[in-house]
Amino acid sequence: MSMVSALARVQAMESMTAVKVTAFRHRRLSDRPLVVIPLTMAGEAGAPLAAMVGSSKRNATLLVVAQPRNRDQRFAFAADLGELVTEYLNSFRQDRRGEGEKSRYSDAPQLLVPNTGGIKALADLARMCRFRSTTGPYAVADVVPEFGMWLTFLVERAEQAGTCLLLPVTGMLTEHWATGQSTLEDQNLASLMAWISPPPGTDVAQAMADAESPDICPPAGPTTSPQFDNRDLAPAIKRFDAAHTAGDTVALAAAQAELRELIAEQIQPTWRLMWDAISLLRSVPEAPRAAARFGRDCAAFTSYSDYRDGGGLPQRKRDTAIGAARRLDRLEQALVDFESDMAFDDPFVLADRRSVGEAFAGTVVDADPGRVVLSDSNRRVLRPRVTIRTDDPVRLAAGTKLVSPHMPDSHKARIVSVLPEGGTMLVTVEVTGGMGTPRTPKADGVPALDRHIAYLPDPGWRPAAEFPASDSTPWTHHSPAQVPDADATESENAAAEGWGHDD
Amino acid sequence: MNAPVDDRLTALRGSAQRRAYNARSLAALENNPRCTLRALLDASGSDKAAIAEHAGYPSAFGQSTFALARGNAFEALVKANGYAELLRVLRETLGLTVPEVGNRDLNDVGGDSRQEIRHTHTTRLLVKAAQGSGDSTLYDHPMLRLTVGGYAVFLEPDLVAFRADDRFYIVEIKSFPIIDGQADPVQVKSATTQACAYVIALRDMLRQAGIDPEAAVSDQIVLVAPKDFTNRPTAAFVDARKQVAALTRQLARLERIKDLVELLPEGLTFDLAPDGGQAQRPVEELTDALDQVDATYRPDCLNHCEMAFYCRARAREDASLDILGPEAREQFGGVDTATMVMGLARGELTPTADQSEMAIALRHAARLRAELDQAYRGAA
Ligand code: SF4
Repeated sequence: MSMVSALARVQAMESMTAVKVTAFRHRRLSDRPLVVIPLTMAGEAGAPLAAMVGSSKRNATLLVVAQPRNRDQRFAFAADLGELVTEYLNSFRQDRRGEGEKSRYSDAPQLLVPNTGGIKALADLARMCRFRSTTGPYAVADVVPEFGMWLTFLVERAEQAGTCLLLPVTGMLTEHWATGQSTLEDQNLASLMAWISPPPGTDVAQAMADAESPDICPPAGPTTSPQFDNRDLAPAIKRFDAAHTAGDTVALAAAQAELRELIAEQIQPTWRLMWDAISLLRSVPEAPRAAARFGRDCAAFTSYSDYRDGGGLPQRKRDTAIGAARRLDRLEQALVDFESDMAFDDPFVLADRRSVGEAFAGTVVDADPGRVVLSDSNRRVLRPRVTIRTDDPVRLAAGTKLVSPHMPDSHKARIVSVLPEGGTMLVTVEVTGGMGTPRTPKADGVPALDRHIAYLPDPGWRPAAEFPASDSTPWTHHSPAQVPDADATESENAAAEGWGHDD
Repeated sequence: MNAPVDDRLTALRGSAQRRAYNARSLAALENNPRCTLRALLDASGSDKAAIAEHAGYPSAFGQSTFALARGNAFEALVKANGYAELLRVLRETLGLTVPEVGNRDLNDVGGDSRQEIRHTHTTRLLVKAAQGSGDSTLYDHPMLRLTVGGYAVFLEPDLVAFRADDRFYIVEIKSFPIIDGQADPVQVKSATTQACAYVIALRDMLRQAGIDPEAAVSDQIVLVAPKDFTNRPTAAFVDARKQVAALTRQLARLERIKDLVELLPEGLTFDLAPDGGQAQRPVEELTDALDQVDATYRPDCLNHCEMAFYCRARAREDASLDILGPEAREQFGGVDTATMVMGLARGELTPTADQSEMAIALRHAARLRAELDQAYRGAA
């Protein structure tokens, strides 16, 4: 955490209200996001209990598993949820533009869950569904494996910084607002919303207290509160089981209705909070570079759609060694790019970087726009230099490549020297791009004397790292999963593996 | 030997029944070892949940019957039929050579379940086993003893220490799943924290009997948990070397309970003065007593300590930076409150020599934020 973000938290603490930490929303927010609130049963391995789903506040569908330990009921739930989600996904596969390699859908889906636990619950569900067979003794509905594979795609995409096909709303909110509580407490959607937008007539302190009371604000999942489990849910499930065993259809219907009602009461407050959060986030302007990132989401969505249309195999259980290295490399690069995009777009984020010396801003105190040097190939090239005086504690080394949010995109520079002078720093930079030639210098190619300008490191383009093809890796680098059970048998085993109890 | 300390601790607890160390208090040892209040409450065996509740800040910990049922069912399954499933995973999954010998249930000794008796009994059997003349492989519910703050506490691992390849391994049976060879790291960590305390306690016991403790007790913990989404157990080694070392360090550093007790005002007690099962002590008297003892709140306490809501409220009243957590706090080294941070940021307070460097960075950050506030006031 930088000094600027830490200070923002202290300011929030003092003023007892959330404070802004970005000027923009750096995530694209779909016009038609699909809100999914998954609930799971405590103690069981990824046992779904319920989900509320819908793409508008008024249009919620509640799905409930009356006996989460029962395998058939779980798959019936997975099929119902799968229908809803795949129908939503397919609605984005209409408008396709561009030719050949560039061809892609013009829009992409967006699933929003309350918190990172929600993503984990979907990841578990995805893992349970994607290998299932639609024929044979353990047959499931056609949509189940399809849903599992799509969900896996979304969950994997969500690991990459800056993407927005699947996001936790708590994460979107904390990117823009800092509260006067800890990051741990910020993971509670109700507590977070208490700081940003307490209910009318309630102050932040009261709203925070309410947010932690499970009777006023039931947890946003994925697990329900132990009090609810012990007081309401366990007896209701018992009644359902009893009616089921007795074959009493009237009692069964009554027990089912009771369960739905109980769970609806638990989940509805979160549903409302989710849509309140979404409308708050809509009021924050979208960052300029979010559109380009969204373009890459559309491309990823398109390419996975095509893969599915081609009957592609389910994602592996575990990456191979090379697959894992490749993925890590991609995730790291995406993070660097996203952080740089944000700092470029957003003066708040830039300030964060400035406070730790990773970027700087100040006034041009000296400029030599006409400086010409001889290049290695003996050509006369324009290499203007400017010196900037800044209060920032610059920690960038000479030679660092720079970009500036205040200059045209083609503008590139390099640090020549950083010298302290009377409590400030003098940073001399050489312009290396976007300045034109000695004969035709570009107007605006060099920052003028007395102007205010900011620079930050150029995240740079770098070639995709090269990895050997899978079959040329030494055996020491094979992941264990790859050796004993090859992929072909893996999915067969998984189709038959148990999920829950067979009663 | 500890008699006066014992008396003081008993007085602190008052009329309530003594509580043993449990998973949560052990985890707190690792996560917040410097908290005097917690150290005293735990060492005296006080009921933190009851105290927090009476003080007006009931703790949020509760266990779902579903989790409880699942945990019990899984443990029973692993231990059923003479530990058949456990032996299977130890041999098949972990490739350990576990001889076909009996097991010992150390739950009680001929009907006597007092901690000291059970501890002596456990010691006798395990030392014998370590010397190679034992007759068992699995030891269910041994009673171990760990020294916390110079004070002995009993630990009753709900687990089995077994002897394979001439070493003891601590086994933790947990009901969270290992999916495709991976388990939730947070849950694994809390499971190994407990196991580490058992490793240390077991090593102490053997050291006293002149046995090389490092050789005799492995710091690879055996985690037994459901495989994927099934009920079938699988097992994995968890390397706990680092955690054992860390916990050992914390235990060594822990201020001695004796010294803490001596600093307490005469007559201090956390007694709730129950009458007919109802706490009768005036709340203010209780909170006054609690406030006499230092607590070092941090947000992590919310995961580990029953007193967390109480301590958080106290930290909030003081505008303590502890509320924000260590990541934010460490930026303001040497400053404790939000009020002071803001005073320094606005230039209303003069920093001490220690604070001067931090104050420069702070004022710089404050200038940056002030510029932004002005530029973006009202927008968004
Ligand atoms: S909650 Fe309070 S008593 Fe418990 S460890 Fe934290 S500071 Fe200490």
